[in-house]
Amino acid sequence: MTFHHDSGQRVSRRDVLQRLAGLAFGVSVHGHFGLAGLSAQAAQAQAVTPSRDVSVILLQMRGAMSHLDTFDPKPGRAEQGETKAIRTKTPGIQFSEHVPKLAGMSDRLAVLRAMTTETGAHEQATYLMRTSYTAINSIVHPSMGSWTLHAQGKRSKELPGFVLIGNGNEHPGAGFLDASYTPVPVADPDRGLENTTQPAYLSDAQFRRRLSLADRIDRAFKNAHEGPQIAAYDQMYKDATKLLGGSGLEAFDISKEPEKLKAQYGDTKFGKGCMLARRLVEAGVRCVEVELGGWDMHRDIFADVGEKATDLDTGMSGLLKDLGDRGMLDSTLVVLATEFGRTPEVNQNAGRDHHPAVFSCVLAGAGIKGGSVYGTSDERGFRPDDDAAMVSDFNTTIAHAAGLPYTKEFSAPNGRPFKIGGGGTPIKAILAS
Amino acid sequence: MIAFVVGSVVVRARWLTGRQRVRDVISSSRVARSLVACLVAIVLAILVPAVTAAQRPGSKPPQKKPPKSKLPAAVLALPTKPVMKVASLDRGTRPQVSKAAQAIDQILAAHWKAKDVTPSPLLSDQQFLRRVFLDLAGRIPSLREAQLFLQPPKRDREALVDYLLESPDYVSHFYNYWADILRLVDRPQRQLIFEPYLYYVKDSIRTNKPYDTWVHEMLSADGLLWENPAVGFQLRDSGMPLPYVDNTVRVFLGTQIGCAQCHDHPFDDWTQHQFYELAAFTSGTKNRGGVSTRELAQEARKELKQPTRFIQFLNANATSVSYKDTPLRLPHDYQYDDDKPKAVVTPHVLWGSVPTAQQNANRREQFASWVVSHDNRQFARTIANRLWKKIMGRGLVEPVDDFQAGNPAAISELLEHLTDEILRLNFDMREFIRILVSTDAYQRRAVVYDPASGVPFRFPAPALRRMTAEQLWDSIVTLVAYNAWAVQRPTTDEVAKAASVDVEKVSFESALKQYEQFDEAFGPGKQMRHLQKTVGYKGQLLVRASELPSPLPLGHFLRQFGQSDRESIEGSRTVATVPQILTMFNGPITHSMLERGSVIYDNVLASIPRGPDQVITVVFMSLLSRPPTLSERKLAREEISTAQTPAAGYGNLIWALLNTREFIFIQ
Repeated sequence: MTFHHDSGQRVSRRDVLQRLAGLAFGVSVHGHFGLAGLSAQAAQAQAVTPSRDVSVILLQMRGAMSHLDTFDPKPGRAEQGETKAIRTKTPGIQFSEHVPKLAGMSDRLAVLRAMTTETGAHEQATYLMRTSYTAINSIVHPSMGSWTLHAQGKRSKELPGFVLIGNGNEHPGAGFLDASYTPVPVADPDRGLENTTQPAYLSDAQFRRRLSLADRIDRAFKNAHEGPQIAAYDQMYKDATKLLGGSGLEAFDISKEPEKLKAQYGDTKFGKGCMLARRLVEAGVRCVEVELGGWDMHRDIFADVGEKATDLDTGMSGLLKDLGDRGMLDSTLVVLATEFGRTPEVNQNAGRDHHPAVFSCVLAGAGIKGGSVYGTSDERGFRPDDDAAMVSDFNTTIAHAAGLPYTKEFSAPNGRPFKIGGGGTPIKAILAS
Repeated sequence: MIAFVVGSVVVRARWLTGRQRVRDVISSSRVARSLVACLVAIVLAILVPAVTAAQRPGSKPPQKKPPKSKLPAAVLALPTKPVMKVASLDRGTRPQVSKAAQAIDQILAAHWKAKDVTPSPLLSDQQFLRRVFLDLAGRIPSLREAQLFLQPPKRDREALVDYLLESPDYVSHFYNYWADILRLVDRPQRQLIFEPYLYYVKDSIRTNKPYDTWVHEMLSADGLLWENPAVGFQLRDSGMPLPYVDNTVRVFLGTQIGCAQCHDHPFDDWTQHQFYELAAFTSGTKNRGGVSTRELAQEARKELKQPTRFIQFLNANATSVSYKDTPLRLPHDYQYDDDKPKAVVTPHVLWGSVPTAQQNANRREQFASWVVSHDNRQFARTIANRLWKKIMGRGLVEPVDDFQAGNPAAISELLEHLTDEILRLNFDMREFIRILVSTDAYQRRAVVYDPASGVPFRFPAPALRRMTAEQLWDSIVTLVAYNAWAVQRPTTDEVAKAASVDVEKVSFESALKQYEQFDEAFGPGKQMRHLQKTVGYKGQLLVRASELPSPLPLGHFLRQFGQSDRESIEGSRTVATVPQILTMFNGPITHSMLERGSVIYDNVLASIPRGPDQVITVVFMSLLSRPPTLSERKLAREEISTAQTPAAGYGNLIWALLNTREFIFIQ
């Protein structure tokens, strides 16, 4: 006995699935997805934004990247420890020796050296960086990627709008926004999106039967327990079915990239994540977030920071070069963010501890003025000296560069008003327009 | 070596009386299998697609045995001995349990009356069965368990609760629960071999150790992990004495003082000075036992090509917790007027006082005794609220680790009553849970609650929840494996035997020999290969989630469905994502269910001779723990009669039920 049977007939899977999505879930595929599916509110928001169609790639350094050992060295100070400073392409600006490739393309970067945040706890600070709001008990705020979808819609009908690469559980995702803006997580860039191949025995027709049967049996339960949790799963079933039926899956497969390009990004999980991000954006994904963890160096920082920073340097410079070569840098905003900085003072375990008072972030690409530096930290790298930027200012600057309606108020289900970027002020000095 | 318990689940169905007992799913299916053995060949001939001409219906049935299962033999093997011995419940306290449950219901009834709340309707037996299995055993009931319970006339809910609370499944499920809170991982740092501590946690649940005793052990333990595995709690934050204090207070006292580590708490009362006063109790804790591995390490660097892991192994044997009262100083940049930078702080507890009997003990002991004291009501309140949330889906205070003046309990008289109860029970957590699941409040149909609505939850019933990642995994494994315990995590003694060397006395040669033995059993890669060989199916290990390595890789089924990386306290989630659905559609764990030889496969096979209606009932009972409604039966019959083969129809039905919201949500 076997539970499966191959019908032998090969109808186009895509056709079947498109019909199926309508049959099984009572929605029209074409009507529901993409721009046409946007709420009236979002459509209105779109009308007030510039017509630029920008994608965003966020590189999230988890664990708190040391500013002294990357983009804000203090050569000659005891605090600098073993990390040396090197020249960059921008006159008068030095980076650490661990990011030489990015130093060589500093003319494309805007570096913020007086970022400051509210908390020295990883989870809360990362949440703030991702959402522009302080974590509270009752609601989850949307992350930047989900805001971009809410305001501008998906760019591709077949692909998801927002993808996370290598992220853990704590990502706030779509928060209180509609579940259709939920990011699709990819655990490992080498493996891409897994379990997308239907077994050989499972014909399209059989798959369709299965889904339709599940839907009909489930109706009573769903009616009795209507609410956001069930609705979110319904949405994911729709999205998964649609993804399997489309031709977009190839975008998740980095094995199709040439070897030479792989070397440019670096043979690391992060480098591959950056390459996958470019591939996805090229195929029509609006926002991709790539996580690089392991920056929480309380011990022996000078033994570990070189390797970590090199992964970042190779991955990010490879990405910027590739985007530039393809002419995509004008329409792609690249963001390097971290939750806070690390203490200038080296502790008794030869590490650096949490330091929310000042840290560095970097922007490049669409809407950004390259070769600029905004804000300075004091001589020790301990506090902002000049032009301090709050997280909300940083995120509002991103919103401006990405063409998002950051002055508009959006209402959460509890009636409270929220703004994309958290109501900060865009930093004009590093914006191209 | 890996503890390898072959076979075991001699499930004693204690809720049954007299003659009915000891017929669990395993033995019954085996019986069923042998009963239908003569029919198998014929059935196969009818059902297998792509059959050869000789096998077509009407021609001579094949004489060959059915092909072997692709599932690992260990999970199909008949259990031979008990999985573990779980502490038995006191049957004599049943009347008190019922009385205590009624008292809770009365408080709720008064609250509903005052707030004009209509409670949810009571659960049917089928709904109760499924929910209580998931909440206490962490999995759905097997077909046989469901049939036994639902057999009229006596559907004894109390006996079912007691049966579950004494099962290995209870231990497994609550291990997962604590693993999420305590951030249990196999190797938190390179030199920490943590299996002894993980086993200690599991064993504390197995023996139903009183909660205050358990926590006191963890906060005061000293020595090596293999001598006194409770030191794991301290070592989880090894080298981070201030975060240790923050985490300890957060987990056991439900209070967040972490902000005060660097500055006065912005909206709570805690000052940085208070944080340091509390930290002063434990600042003299050391994680190095004063023994040196230097000479052995030097020799290793000289003799070995890759000495790193051997040196880490040596360091593990030099990592032990010890304590000596040591003054703690304020940070050099202390910015408040109440004291000077670098001033020595006098230890002070956050509230109340150190119990009189311990006032002359060392400071670490004073701290531990203060935390768990019956007089420290916040300790009792925190665990009462946690366990209420575990059973009801939501805490009376949310989040459960953020008690503060501005965050009052939803029903404060109830929380205080529950606090009295856990104190009355002398922190017997299992008895407390027994009371909670015996309330009418628990036995009501789940309601949808959206915290974002801004409306307070008044507990008209448990809140609707998605299964945790572990509940989902263990439920599917229940549908696949006859023995879900073919591998268990190693015991403290097993690890001690493999890993313990006296680094002061041992020769280089014998230390190396010991290391090689240890590496063979517990080394990265090697351990996994053993496991894959024993219980592996398409890269998945078909055992209970509690027995799997931790943390699991990001792409694992359990991580996809929200299991924590176990770096942040209670980091697990139940958020929906697309890859989860792809896994349910096409993942190896779905395929394992449909393999020849799986529990559900065999149960379907055994019911085929009794006709399609019986098969449909078996599939519904197996997956949803209830028979189909009339209209569902009609749908299922249509599916089966119009499918390419009846078997394909059954497969479609199983797959469809697995992919319903009803399956993954706990109603």
